[in-house]
Formats: sequence, C-alpha cells, structure tokens
Amino acid sequence: MRQVMLTLTNPAGLHARPAAELVKAAARFKSRIVLEGNGKKADAKSIILVLGLGLRQNDSITIRADGEDEEAAVQMLAELVKQRFHE
Amino acid sequence: MNELKTIRAVGAVAGIARGYLHFLRRDLQKELESYRQQDPPLELQRFYYARGVAAARTDRLVEKLREGHQEGQAAILETRGLILSDPGLGSLVSEKIQASGLSAPAAVLQSCEEMAGPILELEDAYLRERALDIQNAGIQIAEILLGIQETELKTPAILFGEEIDPSLIIGLSQETAGLIIGSASMTSHAVILARSRGTPTLVGITDLREQIPDNTPVILDGGEGLLIANPDERTIQSYQAKMEEQQREEQEYRRLASVPARTKDGFRVTLAANIGYPEELEQAQRYGYEGVGLYRTEFLFLGKGSFPTEEEQFQAYRRVIERCENRRCIIRTMDIGGDKQLPCLEIPPERNPFLGWRAIRISLKRTDLFQTQIRAILRAGVYGKAAIMLPMISGLEELRQAKRLISQAVHSLEQDDIPFAEDMEVGMMIETPAAAVLAGQFAEECDFFSIGTNDLTQYTLAVDRGNPLISQLYSYFHPAVLRLIRHVVEQAHSRGKWVGMCGEMAGDPAAARLLCSWGIDELSMSLPRIPLVKQAVLACETDRRWADAVLSLSDAKQAEAYLKAQTE
Repeated sequence: MRQVMLTLTNPAGLHARPAAELVKAAARFKSRIVLEGNGKKADAKSIILVLGLGLRQNDSITIRADGEDEEAAVQMLAELVKQRFHE
Repeated sequence: MNELKTIRAVGAVAGIARGYLHFLRRDLQKELESYRQQDPPLELQRFYYARGVAAARTDRLVEKLREGHQEGQAAILETRGLILSDPGLGSLVSEKIQASGLSAPAAVLQSCEEMAGPILELEDAYLRERALDIQNAGIQIAEILLGIQETELKTPAILFGEEIDPSLIIGLSQETAGLIIGSASMTSHAVILARSRGTPTLVGITDLREQIPDNTPVILDGGEGLLIANPDERTIQSYQAKMEEQQREEQEYRRLASVPARTKDGFRVTLAANIGYPEELEQAQRYGYEGVGLYRTEFLFLGKGSFPTEEEQFQAYRRVIERCENRRCIIRTMDIGGDKQLPCLEIPPERNPFLGWRAIRISLKRTDLFQTQIRAILRAGVYGKAAIMLPMISGLEELRQAKRLISQAVHSLEQDDIPFAEDMEVGMMIETPAAAVLAGQFAEECDFFSIGTNDLTQYTLAVDRGNPLISQLYSYFHPAVLRLIRHVVEQAHSRGKWVGMCGEMAGDPAAARLLCSWGIDELSMSLPRIPLVKQAVLACETDRRWADAVLSLSDAKQAEAYLKAQTE
C-alpha cells in the first residue's frame, strides 16, 4: 500500500471539474484507490463519492492506493493535485 | 391527426424556432406502476443496458460539443457521463435489485436519491447543486428503462417540460432550437437562462401533452407567443423568411462580438451585461460583453427560507467574478422590497412599497445582513476585478453610513486574517431624483455612478409603470428624466468619476447616440441587447449640440421622435 498526504491548493477545491479530472485519472489504474479528507473516505473512482467529500481549497487530502500499480497511481494523482488539475 | 393547430402561449424569449416537439420527463411514478418487472438477474441486465445507452448518448453529445468548441457545456456533460458510469452507483443499484428485489428503474431512482443525500448536506452551495446532477442521471437511466426515451431525439428539438431544470438549460446542445416551460414565470431562473442564451421560449401552457403527441413537427414563435403544430406549406413559407432573417442577424451578432463599440467619430463606450445568475455568463462571450455592469444579488435571497450564509454568498460571487476573468464585475448589494419580497425577511405591509423600506434602507437597518454580504463580496474580489454598488441612495448620510459599514467589514476581515480585495471600488445607483440632483456632492464621496433608469423614471414622473391606466405616461425619453441624466454625467465627469447606466434605457438602441454624445462611460443591459446597441453605436456620430437640443422639447413623445429620426 502506498499513500501520500497533500493540500488542495486550487481555488475551486474539489468542484465538479477537478473532481472529474481526478476520477478519470484514477479509473486508469487497477489498484483500489481511496481518498480521505474532511473526516470522510471515498472511492477515488466514484465521482459521486468524491464530490460528497466536499473538499475545498486548503483542505488536506490523503491519497491511498492498494494494488499492483499503486506506486504509479499515487504518483500520478498527487501530481494532478499539485498541478491544480490543470485549471 | 396531423392537422394544423395553433396554440396560444406567453412569449418569454423572442425568436422563431422550427423543429420536433420533445416532451421531457413525464410522471415517472405513474410509469413505474405499469412497469413489468422480471427476475433480479434480468432486471440487473436491463439496468446495465440502459446505463450503457445513456452513457453512450452522453459521450456522443460531449464529442459534438467539443467539435463545436463549447468546452464549458462539454465539461458539464462529461461529469454527467462519469456519474452514469459511477462504480459506487452501480454496486448500490445491483444490491437493491438482488437483495431487496426492486425493479431496475426503481432501484436506480432510489440509489441516486440516496447517493445525492450526503452532497445535499455539504456547506458548499456549488457542490450542493451537483446533487441535482446525480438525481437527473438517475432519471435519465430510469426513463430509458421505462421506454420513455426509446427513440433518439429528432432534431432540431423543441423541448417541453412543466418545469425545466436550470442545469439542463445550461447543458443544452445547439440542436435544441426552442423551449416551452409550461408553468414557469417570466422571471424564473430557467427563463432568465433561456433569455441569456437567446433560445426562443414560451411559457404558460400546461396541458400540451394532452393536446399533441411527442415528435410533432412544430414552429415556435417566441415573439408572438404561439406554438404551431403540424404547420402546412403556407405557414412554413411565411416563417421561412423570418427565420432566414434571424439567422443573418445571428451571424452579424457573432461578427460584432469582437468589434469594439466605438462611434464613427471615435467615442468608445463599454457595453456590459446585467445578470442575475452566474450561469448567464456561459453564453456571454458570443455577445461580446465587456463586463458585468449589474449583478443582481437578490436572486440568491429569493425563494429561500433563510438568508444565505457568508460562505454561500462568497461562492456565488466568486463564480461570477471568476467567469468575468479580467472584466469588471459590479455587484449590487441586495435590492429587496418594492416589488421584491423575501420569505425570510418580514417587511410590514406598506401603503407605498416603492417609497418604503427597501434596498439600502433595509441594509442600513439590518446591518448584520449587510455586513455578511459585504464580507462575502470583499472576499470574492480576490478572484478578479469586482466593485460594490449601493442601490436606492437618496441622501448623503446613507452613502456615508454604508461606507462606514464597508470599512468595518474590511477591519473584521483583517482581524480574522481572511484574504480579501483591498481598495475595491464603491459606487452607487442613481435612481432617486434626489441623488440625481445632488450628483455633484455624491460624486465627491464615491467611485462611480450607475444610472438606474427604471426607478429614476418612475420616481421623477411619479408614474407606476405597472398601472395600465397611466403606463403610457412612463417614458425615459421624458425631457425631465433626460435633463437629470445629463446632469449626472456632467457632475461625475467634472469630478473625475465615471458613469454607467443599467436601466432598460441602456439597452435601447434609440438612446445610444444621445448617451454617447453626453459622454456616458458604460451601458449595461441584458445580454441579447448588446449587439443591438452596438450596431447603433457603430452607426452614429456623437453631437453634443444635437443631443442638448432634445432637452428643449416639451414631452417624451416629441423627444423620442426626435431621437429616432436622427438615429435612422
């Protein structure tokens, strides 16, 4: 299992568009990927659950992946967060 | 069966659309009752099939939108696609079908409802609205299961719904030529969005489903408020010319969008938009808007049981400001009272609501509400270029008091260590004769004016335009109103302040030359008016003497005739 903790810096937080980017990216990996933030957990491949986290700017977020491609998954999603979802 | 039929309605957005009628979302509950449920494995298969159909349709639409460079709408629909194929939704539906023995459509509807639940409880107002997207996705799948949407949309489509969800209007493709929103009012959210998109729209027909079948060819005439079912050759031909004219205009407007509004002799005026909802700006680029001259914040307050929190307001203002990019966005503080009542604010019965407790007068008494709003605006200002505008000022002390409250809000934000926009412009509306007459004194103490001609006209002429017995007396071309306008522009300019106008007069091409001749800096109007006014600006030459001569005319009719004769 691999995990990383980050802070959401993009102004919109996890609004529909950044959430969609994240979910699309997560779907490319085989690992089970969980996002944690705001005291809640969500399957990173489910847009509905990710939106339900209600994460906003400056909230911290933990990305946890478990599976054969966990390393790449965590790296790629963390990069997406750091690059503010290409907003 | 296929006979010509003309149905009267109320025109909400002018324009002509020809296409096939498509009924939205029937009563799902009724359809569910007659659904023939099979064994769980088969129901599950049906669910996967229907979900696949919905996702494929959505993907196709996204592609089409991308080809047409409608990135904003494509992104909205793409989210819908992700919701449809959401694995969490899939497993919940399958559990409901297999463990609880529900039918596929019932399971989908229930699952979407349940999954939207936690989102409805979020603090973030924008995210809360996404709950609707999830419910709508459920309805989309259920409709396919129930056979309501067996056929592909025949296009161009004219959509009918008793009510139409605003999010659906934002996501409409080019193939939707017109809308019929059965029970909407002219000022409903849906109608305002349709207007800002320029989609011909009718309201006020509720029994259409009983009158004509789905897929009937129709012509919708938004100007006349008519729906013509099964039009014959003659009718089609008579509308053909109008539609061609409309298309030519549309092309011309697109061309105009990138042309700066400059008179022949080089006077440059800013053409801005009046809006009530952030989403209206989705289509604003194609009209070539140069800013928001009036963002009416009261829509945030209407139809709610409680006042929106600072956070909710902040999110809404931020969305508008961000969408404006580097254009100026003027946010008017709440203009309630008069004809706009709030369920969450008790205004005692008044004999004369327009002369009563309204707008800034409420803000200065309920300073808690005002502070919340000002803090939200100042915070949102970080994301672009915003300005604050105060409505209904009639005395200098009101302006001073409001500015003191704004300073207090600044201090409180500093103390809380919350980022906000410093040095935001603070301006006021000129809509009472008192403010117009004393414009010179007001100009010393604020950054800009915006002339609200609707109220200024009604107060100056003492005419209630809603009263049919006297509404013919209401005209912003009345020389008394015109004198006040010129005075306001002069007084502001002599003190180095800029002046805009955001009443209906600003969107009237017949007034453009006059206002440019007097040197108005900005005209702000509903989005579809911008190209019309721009045409008038481009075609005219300013002439101060010609403009001043209108003031010696004796009444509004003469003045209007004078201006129109010289403009054409």
